[in-house]
Amino acid sequence: MENLLRGKCWVFGDNMDTDQIIQGQYLTLLNYSEMAKHAFEGPRPEFASQVKQGDIVIAGRNFGSGSSREEAPMILKELGVSCVIAESFARIFYRNGFNIGLPLLVISDITSKLKDGDEIQVNLRDGLVTLSKGEILEGNKLPALMMDILSAGGAINWYKANL
Amino acid sequence: MGKTLAEKILAAHTKDTNTDAGAIIEANIDFLMVHEVLGSRVIPILDEMGIEKVWDPNRILVVNDHWAPASDIQSAQIHSRNREFVKQQGIKYFCDVNCGVSHQVLAEMGLVHPGELVIGCDSHSTTYGAFNAFSTGLAATDTALIIATGKCWFRVPESLKIIVQGEFSERVMSKDLILRILSQLGPDGANYQSMEFHGNTINNLSVGARMTVCNMTVEAGAKCGLMTLNNSVKEWMIQRSPDTKWAEVQPDSDAEYIDEITLDISEEKLEPMVARPHLPTNGVSVREVEGIEIDQAFIGSCTNGRLEDIKIATEIVRGKKIHPSTRLIVTPASQETYLNALRAGYIEDLMKAGAVVTNSTCGACVGGHLGVLGPDEICISSTNRNFRGRMGDNTSEIYLASPATVAASALYGRITDPRGVD
Repeated sequence: MENLLRGKCWVFGDNMDTDQIIQGQYLTLLNYSEMAKHAFEGPRPEFASQVKQGDIVIAGRNFGSGSSREEAPMILKELGVSCVIAESFARIFYRNGFNIGLPLLVISDITSKLKDGDEIQVNLRDGLVTLSKGEILEGNKLPALMMDILSAGGAINWYKANL
Repeated sequence: MGKTLAEKILAAHTKDTNTDAGAIIEANIDFLMVHEVLGSRVIPILDEMGIEKVWDPNRILVVNDHWAPASDIQSAQIHSRNREFVKQQGIKYFCDVNCGVSHQVLAEMGLVHPGELVIGCDSHSTTYGAFNAFSTGLAATDTALIIATGKCWFRVPESLKIIVQGEFSERVMSKDLILRILSQLGPDGANYQSMEFHGNTINNLSVGARMTVCNMTVEAGAKCGLMTLNNSVKEWMIQRSPDTKWAEVQPDSDAEYIDEITLDISEEKLEPMVARPHLPTNGVSVREVEGIEIDQAFIGSCTNGRLEDIKIATEIVRGKKIHPSTRLIVTPASQETYLNALRAGYIEDLMKAGAVVTNSTCGACVGGHLGVLGPDEICISSTNRNFRGRMGDNTSEIYLASPATVAASALYGRITDPRGVD
């Protein structure tokens, strides 16, 4: 996992629940790349076809609320999203993100500072986000356990390495 | 310092010495439930991990419930994988497509007991808190790790104490109570927390009505919803699991809570509640949304598809006809519920009133099958989530309500206060 990320932002509002990220009707698809074509299909139908490797998802409060479906962070990772920065995360989504190796960062006022297409730089280890005009936003530093899991590439690799 | 219910139960399942809220602990899991996610996501992870044997085949329930019976070729394939896994691993508890919704059948089979730590690979696994057990939902990777090791890490949650006093008025249900509490908390008002319920109202609730309340705590972001033991749960245990030893857990009188909410539903006079689209926390009094025309009325799910739910709906529609522009779909939460409703004559009364009764499945609630919504359709539903597109097309809208309000609305083709129906 890279500690320094640079990418273009996609900005979402509050309470982006797991049905907005991936609807229940697609959960029986066994292939993640097929499923990923339906990411954010309701709120942002253009997302799946236009998102680029390294792009960053920015969101308001309570990102990923609702279902426990791990497919939600998985398809974002599949599409090349390098990181999700939200004002807060729902509990299960937060756990799932690290488990599958998708970095998540909490920054309290991030949506008021950014618009679609802005480019930012993220330092995961220090929890810092640098905006294009040079302003630096400070988030929570990731707990050591979370950094370890991310560095291993997710909980499964981390488990294998710690057997 | 005293301990909350969540702290006490987690402390009893770990070797870690600090078990206060905020501590990270490794805990031993008593029981695990997993549904179709086993076949679709967990088995590939177990293969990647190189796990050949599950930690304990006697502590796992596998259920084929979300698309039961299979709604398409993919779900059929997932079900087959589950069957094969159960056979190969000698899993003791398996519910194929003829059982019902996981949270209901786990309880019916007597697989949750007071004081236990139960994990489900499904967000509504908070339901078992009704049995004085700590239960929460996790996803595929955590489930695979539990299947491999029987252990999982947790952050011990802060607890929110909710005290409810008073009596329900007629045709007002525990669904109305939880919708009322959720409307106060908002969609992340209890994020990461344990919602711990107390008070005579909670103590007097049936097992089913308690399950409804704990089931929906996750809609405020809660990690779990916990209740102390009451007589209905004691009787349930004696009937469903007579040979298992268990001990009830009470919080200490000096336990520390992050906040406290007190409600008197007699004094405030709790009314039937309806959650507007697209959040379960958008609850308002039914009077504020009365008259909104509906295309579909749905009664079912782990939230409100139990016998008492079907009973009250039947009492409301019995001898009448549902409105011609509306369809009423009833999906009993389990095969046992279905049989009991059949024996009690409810199914016949519902069908005569014009309802479609389906087999037990998560079905319509997850937009899977047997009641999927088309473009611009409006549904009133006794389920738990009204997220945009949850039950079908992204332009459809879902209003959440109690089975009584859903049944009353089906009669008139528009959202209707059940208290005004003869």
